[in-house]
Amino acid sequence: MLFLQQLINGLTSGSLYALIAVGYTVVYGIVQLINFAHGEVFMIGAFGSLAVWTIFFQGQTSILILIPMLLGAVAASVGVAVLMERFAYRPLRHAPRLAPLITAIGVSVSLQEIVRLFYPGAKSPLPYPQIDYVSGTALQLGDITLRRSAIFTVGALVVSAVFLWWFINRTKLGRGMQAVSQDPDTARLMGINVDRVIVVAFALGALLAGIAGVAQGLQTNSISQIMGFTAGLKAFTAAVLGGIGNVAGAVVGGLVLGVAESLATQFIPGAFGGTPWKDVWAFVLLIVVLVFRPQGLLGARVVDRA
Amino acid sequence: MTVTHSAPAAPPADGGAVILQASGVIMRFGGLTAVNSVDLTVREGEIVGLIGPNGAGKTTFFNCLTGLYKPTEGQVIFNGAVLPPKPRAVVLAGMARTFQNIRLFNNMTALENVMVGRYCRTSSMALTSIFRGPKFRREEAATRARAQELLDYVGLGRSSELLARNLPYGDQRRLEIARALATDPKVLLLDEPTAGMNPQETRQASDLIFKIRDSGIAVVVIEHDMRFIFNLCDRVLCLVRGETLVEGSPTQVQSDPRVIEAYIGTGDDDEDEGAST
Amino acid sequence: MSTVSTPTQIAPTPGYHPSRIDGLREQHGRLAWLLVLTGLVVLAAGCFLSWSYDPEILGNLSISFNPGSLQLFMLTAAVLALVYALAYRGPLRGLGVWIDSAKALMVLGIGALGFMAITLAVVAVTSSGLINIDPGGWVSLVGSLVLAVGGSLLERRPTKDTLHAQLPAWVEIGTIVVLMAMLLFGAAYALGQTDGNIFGLFLVFVVAVAWSLFAAGFFTWLGIVAQRHRRVLMLGAFAVAFLFPFTQNGSDANMSIATQVLIFAATALGLNIVVGLAGLLDLGYIAFLGAGAYTAATLSTSAFATIGWKPPFLVVVLLGAIVAATLGLIIGTPTLRVSGDYLAIVTLAFGEIFRLSMSNLDGNNGPDLTHGPNGIPAIPDLQIGSFNFGDEHTILGFSLGRFANYYFVLLVLALVIITVFSRLNNSRIGRGWVAIREDEKAAEAMGVNVFGLKLFAFASGAFLAGMAGTVKAHQDVSVTPDQYVFLESAFLLAAVVLGGMGTVAGVFIGATILKLLPEKLRFISDYRLLIFGVLLVLMMRVRPEGIIASQRRQLEFHEEDEALAERIEEVHLEEEAQT
Ligand SMILES: Nc1ncnc2c1ncn2[C@@H]1O[C@H](COP(=O)(O)OP(=O)(O)O)[C@@H](O)[C@H]1O
Ligand SMILES: [Mg+2]
Repeated sequence: MLFLQQLINGLTSGSLYALIAVGYTVVYGIVQLINFAHGEVFMIGAFGSLAVWTIFFQGQTSILILIPMLLGAVAASVGVAVLMERFAYRPLRHAPRLAPLITAIGVSVSLQEIVRLFYPGAKSPLPYPQIDYVSGTALQLGDITLRRSAIFTVGALVVSAVFLWWFINRTKLGRGMQAVSQDPDTARLMGINVDRVIVVAFALGALLAGIAGVAQGLQTNSISQIMGFTAGLKAFTAAVLGGIGNVAGAVVGGLVLGVAESLATQFIPGAFGGTPWKDVWAFVLLIVVLVFRPQGLLGARVVDRA
Repeated sequence: MTVTHSAPAAPPADGGAVILQASGVIMRFGGLTAVNSVDLTVREGEIVGLIGPNGAGKTTFFNCLTGLYKPTEGQVIFNGAVLPPKPRAVVLAGMARTFQNIRLFNNMTALENVMVGRYCRTSSMALTSIFRGPKFRREEAATRARAQELLDYVGLGRSSELLARNLPYGDQRRLEIARALATDPKVLLLDEPTAGMNPQETRQASDLIFKIRDSGIAVVVIEHDMRFIFNLCDRVLCLVRGETLVEGSPTQVQSDPRVIEAYIGTGDDDEDEGAST
Repeated sequence: MSTVSTPTQIAPTPGYHPSRIDGLREQHGRLAWLLVLTGLVVLAAGCFLSWSYDPEILGNLSISFNPGSLQLFMLTAAVLALVYALAYRGPLRGLGVWIDSAKALMVLGIGALGFMAITLAVVAVTSSGLINIDPGGWVSLVGSLVLAVGGSLLERRPTKDTLHAQLPAWVEIGTIVVLMAMLLFGAAYALGQTDGNIFGLFLVFVVAVAWSLFAAGFFTWLGIVAQRHRRVLMLGAFAVAFLFPFTQNGSDANMSIATQVLIFAATALGLNIVVGLAGLLDLGYIAFLGAGAYTAATLSTSAFATIGWKPPFLVVVLLGAIVAATLGLIIGTPTLRVSGDYLAIVTLAFGEIFRLSMSNLDGNNGPDLTHGPNGIPAIPDLQIGSFNFGDEHTILGFSLGRFANYYFVLLVLALVIITVFSRLNNSRIGRGWVAIREDEKAAEAMGVNVFGLKLFAFASGAFLAGMAGTVKAHQDVSVTPDQYVFLESAFLLAAVVLGGMGTVAGVFIGATILKLLPEKLRFISDYRLLIFGVLLVLMMRVRPEGIIASQRRQLEFHEEDEALAERIEEVHLEEEAQT
């Protein structure tokens, strides 16, 4: 029972990681850039949805509001991601790798600060609205507690994964993305607009991150400008776990990470097992994977050209 | 290595002791077998040529010899001992190389580039470097002097303080050779040392390679310029599609119809590849 | 520039024939020059008149014929402008052959104009109304405007490259000494300002003067001079740093900031070994400082210390450094397999692991080592022999407070770190690092011990940070996990990146900017992080190699720039010719 409960908890947080992890992986697959500020895109999504609720639906709880809220989240995160790509990363595309990474840190700090300073009331964590059916009392199935927001999160992941699969394999843009990630130069020669593909990759990642922002808000009932940091790092771990650059891997990695984390909390005996050590074990997992299997669970081994 | 300028007569082709022996080297990349059980024997004081059309696997073979790639199968015996596929071990054992697409340390001066080549033959570590005792100063001076000597040797003595990236193309190739020589090799692997050179530079390069051979270093050289190969080499190995097609004296190889066919055939090959991908 | 006033040493440009300039341009040039002269005279004259009706604003600017400090700045600018003007045409023509006085005048004029505009704006705003600006202020504003206009109308003449200027050794050394003295008094003055506006205006002034000197080619020349008299420069810099506490009259307020800057700079220098020399990105570097601090805290005589053993402080320093270096080795191990961005994330994760562990080890979750989030408070001041660092001491009539004591220890530490940094840089190991940065595969193929050198970079950087941490624990009195968050690592990295990768001076400048400015410019304090983030982004676009970058780093960030490569080669050849 305990195991099942932890499994469910793990899948819930794992779904969240997976939604964010896709953003890292898609962008990395195409421009070999770790968009360190992606965690902030997720955070912006949460604030975008909150803004929509505060401005238009203050005090309401109808489930239908969730749709405009999701739209608000996605608009905010996609907007920020596209601007970020255009003004911070694109000019550095041929710079040494240190430059985009430091830029990413700068962007990350700036976004947090912009929210903290200019979003009304954001200097302390803001309560997230309660929405019918997806927030509120948990469902009880025997011994197992199933939180409504968990159902929403897992559902969001399932829908997003199907959408992703369709987008990447069935649309022209998606196939363009695949082409660019395999061989950017040839893709360019074949007439694919690489700049546009890169923007699309950022936008796609941001789309899922925005949804994740809503899910996180519903789960924790409050959001703050620093929520993107740890979540981003965890999601990156998930992306690495699945094999960075591999979209399916990101989803699998997220779920595996979530489950591993919650099982660790429960089943690592002694003082080092409790919730306070959860993040530590996640990061240890990240390092272990990077050192022993840098290609991740689903990635293929590549020989770097000499 | 002592730099002798008075050239003794070239030793007979199979006179010296075997210094490098690679046997059954195979390198696969996924489905592609880039090098397929190639054997190579190099004797002291020999110049061996490695020819073959583009994509034949010559560079990959070099990478296997020098430990940049870990060969899928096969082993390399150097001076009687098996070489582990680790670049540093290879250099320490006495085999150094240049690269087809020049890989100098662009933002270092010519002298510094060669000094990096001395790295594996010097030993100052952290504390020595921090406290700057006599040993450190002696070794630094010796490194510097040796590097300058090597630059003079390849004809770049006056460019020692220039940045590698500012050097003309031909000089960059020679600098790469000087950097490799700085590791005190017994075998030198040169990957297309005259690519992109004009006839005069090519002649200078072959003079340099002779000079290196005469100082007692065996040379394995990948080249496309046939005249260069036949003037220079004691023995030639022709690779095609990762396999040894012919091995023998330059004249033998030159007259072998299969070699000619392989080279002429490449045009078709390239077209095929272009169409299929 | 006043020290370069030996024009007799410099031959005029041989190819320069005034007669070839046609009459019209000659006339135009003379007019512009006269404008410049008028401008600087008017600017200076205004400085002797009152700028503000209210004596309370910006120091006292209200007494005619008794210039306040801001007015003295503008007087200095006017004198500097006079030197440029006379170098352009007049008795200092010999100097004018070398310096681009037209450009320097333009920059200085614009700078002065900006300074005056801000000053008058502050006066008007704080005293609510333009009415409170006295005529002197308007006079100087007009003067600076005329100066700026005249400067931009001046004809730009080709100059010789100051790179090849040769002056007698005593002039060069004199320049260094004067600059160092100015640095000392400038720093003391700046720190003494409690008024953020004056501090900010002082910065504007310094930037304007520095920029004009830069335009004049002064820094090119200074670079060569610094290279030629490296010893003098280092000695001078150390003397300035050493004398600084004596300018503070025992006041701890500024010394506290100064020690913060110093500890930050020392740590950043250690990081510069990892980032600037070895080219590895470490986003968890603050953990090493933390490791040192926690070692010192747990071994201290604080009532909350968790380890019974109380070794002497020098042993603690060594232990802290060793603990940190061990962590460094562990963090460095993944470099065998991962590189680049991946490595950055690994180090970030390590940093987080460290912080989380420190806030977990409270007795409930694992052994009680750190008291969890509360940390270890009440760490007593250092006591070495009978010398207690908490007491005020008097030396030669100067009283030195608690922070001054720590300042001196940190100064010694910084000196150690600088020595280690620059000696490693100029050695076999340093060359190996450069080679790895340039082309890791090629370095490996040349027999460079890539993994060993990377590991060593991590370990030595960590060692030095650990040492700094042990002092920090005592100076801060308490050690808590939230002092070692990721943002601190980002700050350290920013000090390296903004200041200049691979140089000592750059890191000190970066550290000063990042620590001092927020302290002094209180009005930006809430926007501190935002400015920081934006600064990082802008810097990466505008000057990714940092303010004072090593030449090699500059080249690495501008692989396409042929002209830069030629220029740096020229500088290098000049340096080689000197030594
Ligand atoms: N790291 C690698 N991964 C995949 N394929 C490779 C790699 N290195 C070389 N190859 C392939 O091996 C073949 C041989 O290449 P190479 O050795 O460079 O040929 P050559 O030097 O004879 O022109 C080519 O088809 C090349 O694409
Ligand atoms: Mg090749």
